[in-house]
Amino acid sequence: MHAPVFLAQPPLASRLMNTLVLAGLCGVMGMALAWQLIYDELPCPLCLLQRVGFLLAGIGVILNLRFGPSPLHYGMIILSALGGAAVSGRQVLLHIAPGDPGYGSLFLGLHFYTWALILFIALIAYAGVMLLLERPASGPLPALRPRPLIALLMWLFLVLAAANLLSTVLECGLGPCADDPVRYELLSLTS
Amino acid sequence: MVMMLPFLTGLLAVWFGLAGRRGASIVCWGLTLALLALWSRFHMTDSLPISL
Repeated sequence: MHAPVFLAQPPLASRLMNTLVLAGLCGVMGMALAWQLIYDELPCPLCLLQRVGFLLAGIGVILNLRFGPSPLHYGMIILSALGGAAVSGRQVLLHIAPGDPGYGSLFLGLHFYTWALILFIALIAYAGVMLLLERPASGPLPALRPRPLIALLMWLFLVLAAANLLSTVLECGLGPCADDPVRYELLSLTS
Repeated sequence: MVMMLPFLTGLLAVWFGLAGRRGASIVCWGLTLALLALWSRFHMTDSLPISL
């Protein structure tokens, strides 16, 4: 049995929207990693789990672009964003008391976990709107040949996911991460 | 609790998606989501400094 799809050949608007969201997710993942490397700010466990939330949402977007938009893919985006929002919301609440300086640096006046919560809510809204607007269709789900720009973004997302995996291995090794990490565990073993 | 595990399964899900293997990608996505839930439970046990 084939999963339901909206259209085997999705319209330009659908492709464009999913491409923009994937570009945005690449930007988020890339910036988190760049900030970590440039300012030597190691992500806490909750920060890492928020990155997992963005990674999960990106998988739904990639499947939309690779196989055509489907309610299942949008459902994946919504569930991923709900998971990420639960983690980032929890971190916001941890630091919401008056006098608490929060964790990590500010970016445009907000902490990264606050930005993450805003972006996860935006992702849920995006998937909801797309579910309303996409036109239903039925039939098999062939893999689409992505256009060069879309293919490039997909590969960039894969590279960023791999870089985050490497960074997490270096920071935490093959175990849990420290609540307030100050060094790369795996690198300190070798020095 | 292995923190890198959800990144590994997530990376596999992306790879399978790019390789055109939709079913495998969705399975890895589900596994990653389950790991996110389990790992969140592990890291979200401190009491909050507020009354909800």
